[in-house]
Amino acid sequence: MTLLEKFLLSILFLLPLTQIINLFQQGALPLYILITIVVCICCYFFTLYLIKETMPLLLKAGIQGRDLHKPGTDPIPESIGIVSGPMYLGCVILLQIVYQIKLSEFNAGITSICFMVLLGFMDDVLNVRWRVKIYLSFVSILPLIVAYSGSTYVLIPKFVKIVFSTAHTAIDIGIFYKIFVTFFSVFCTNSINILAGVNGLEVGQSIVIGVAVLVLNLLRLNPNDASMDQEYARFSILLILPFLAVSFAVLKFNWCPAKVFVGDTYTYFSGMVLAVVAVIGHFPEMLALFFIPQILNFLFSLPQLLGFFPMSRHRLPKLNQKTGKLAGQKQHHNLINFWLRIVGPKTEKMLCIHILVFQAVCCVAAFGIRYLYREFL
Amino acid sequence: MINLFQQGALPLYIFITIVVCIFCYFFTLYLIKETMPLLLKAGIQGRDLHKPGTDPIPESIGIVSGPMYLGCVILLQIVYQIKLSEFNAGITSICFMVLLGFMDDVLNVRWRVKIYLSFVSILPLIVAYSGSTYVLIPKFVKIVFSTAHTAIDIGIFYKIFVTLFSVFCTNSINILAGVNGLEVGQSIVIGVAVLVLNLFRLNPSDASMEQEYARFSILLILPFLAVSFAVLKFNWCPAKVFVGDTYTYFSGMVLAVVAVIGHFPEMLALFFIPQILNFLFSLPQLFGFFPMSRHRLPKLNEKTGKLAGQKQHHNLINFWLRIVGPKTEKMLCIHILIFQAVCCVAAFGIRFVYREFL
Repeated sequence: MTLLEKFLLSILFLLPLTQIINLFQQGALPLYILITIVVCICCYFFTLYLIKETMPLLLKAGIQGRDLHKPGTDPIPESIGIVSGPMYLGCVILLQIVYQIKLSEFNAGITSICFMVLLGFMDDVLNVRWRVKIYLSFVSILPLIVAYSGSTYVLIPKFVKIVFSTAHTAIDIGIFYKIFVTFFSVFCTNSINILAGVNGLEVGQSIVIGVAVLVLNLLRLNPNDASMDQEYARFSILLILPFLAVSFAVLKFNWCPAKVFVGDTYTYFSGMVLAVVAVIGHFPEMLALFFIPQILNFLFSLPQLLGFFPMSRHRLPKLNQKTGKLAGQKQHHNLINFWLRIVGPKTEKMLCIHILVFQAVCCVAAFGIRYLYREFL
Repeated sequence: MINLFQQGALPLYIFITIVVCIFCYFFTLYLIKETMPLLLKAGIQGRDLHKPGTDPIPESIGIVSGPMYLGCVILLQIVYQIKLSEFNAGITSICFMVLLGFMDDVLNVRWRVKIYLSFVSILPLIVAYSGSTYVLIPKFVKIVFSTAHTAIDIGIFYKIFVTLFSVFCTNSINILAGVNGLEVGQSIVIGVAVLVLNLFRLNPSDASMEQEYARFSILLILPFLAVSFAVLKFNWCPAKVFVGDTYTYFSGMVLAVVAVIGHFPEMLALFFIPQILNFLFSLPQLFGFFPMSRHRLPKLNEKTGKLAGQKQHHNLINFWLRIVGPKTEKMLCIHILIFQAVCCVAAFGIRFVYREFL
């Protein structure tokens, strides 16, 4: 691992770690977080072991792919999300038993994630049409929508209050909140899927967003506050820590040069976990801000998705075999190619790091936007 | 059902549910047809060992029945606004089992992993289960132990029993197999028995929780019958598709979950008598006292087209064939399904006798 990679990885680890140590020193960090961290560390090592065991089984079943940026290499196993999904679910169910959580939204969230992993793996194995993919994401979030009995209020920004001359600080948008959440989770699952094609990118972006979610909820923790907000923050931490554990385990095998591909199973799983945590933890608007790179990639891709321009299956940059660098292609309208055309050809590893740094910068900016929004409310 | 309706005892919700399930049936038929070529293309197929010389047919059609069932139940949950946490947990358990079953079919995991997968899948329901853990004490036990109690609370042992029982349900349907239509057929017979049991429990003058349990059970078993009949249409002899571990695990888990949420696990155990017998017959081979091959099938006599029981295979199918003589594959399946139905009827008899002499 290069020095740069070590440096970036340690930031991902240390940032929440310092927060955790700080909170612990303040006596604000409950014992449960330490227990959860220990369980998640065990989960990480067990997932590593299961990934190693499953890779030959996937190859034998023919679930594999060729690395298009490394011509001449053998196919490697795909859909390692089939390990991360059940491991995550098993870990969360174990934590649910330990903490005796009977909240129906929690259960419904687990159902939604489980359904998405099932449909994602079915998609990977059977190669269903893209229209079916959208339908699958839509059906998966329904259990959570049914069970959701929390607030459907949104805060009104100050300028809107002035324009509409109202004294309310929040309006109840009722069923539109549920409709928004449904579309948002369909977006989350599919947008991670299309910001892909580079070793380590799908897992990497999920980890960066996951760390941002963890940091957000650690900031929300406040021992003096006894409102429901603390419950939401606790559930979010309980749901995001196992996700980071299994994702780091997958990253170990998926980082450039990849030994395994994640498949639609992982990208759907990842998008659904993040959407579910945001709904149960009551911070979907923050998650939307964390997803700015995915939103940008989606907007860039729209002309091709809608058919105005021809679209190939993998819209990858072109590999220059002499220099080993990837060059952005004019005909592919996505974030990766646009970025390479701006900064010039980069190696696959550097490209991945660039995009992940961009993701991290957007997440930090999201915190800034949140601060400004609240100050000027 | 028509009788109950005339009595005014059949609520409107059962009709709505039946209509939804009929749509579910036809939609599942369509999806099965669409998915069969996809399974073949992905290499998920098997040869019918009783029909030598035929092409491989698709396997693991449980990947259609599972999500269709879950989608149907979630739709009903939206319509009836059911927020009960055990209901949700039951859906999670079934979903987890379908996922692990399909993973097993595709990756061919070792049998030890199969047991572990069934065990993990029931955990969400065990966690959420907050109902009674009482068991009724039969009269003779009361006399022997000189106690006035009618029921004892066995607490955590109830949960342990349910866990082991669901592991048993999922795997026992899996081993009573190998004949076209048998896995789906036995599931449908047991499913119908479950439906009949809960229709009997319905009583408009009773306002206790028992009515809730019966209602949930009906809501959970009707979509199961719908998707199973759709699968049977393609799996009945001669089969055009195999069900795979995905379906047998799904089926066992649905039945176990309905029994837990509906509070009738002991009745389900009685419905499972053929599966229990098959398991007991198979024990010597499962434990390694006798050699065991992968498929313990009867031998096909290609001239007569009939299957003959094999001495070396210790399971219900072979034992039965050695008693009644060689039968065609379709007749064998019908025999076993009739035996299953007879056991289910006997179960009702046992229940009646048990309650009379309590």
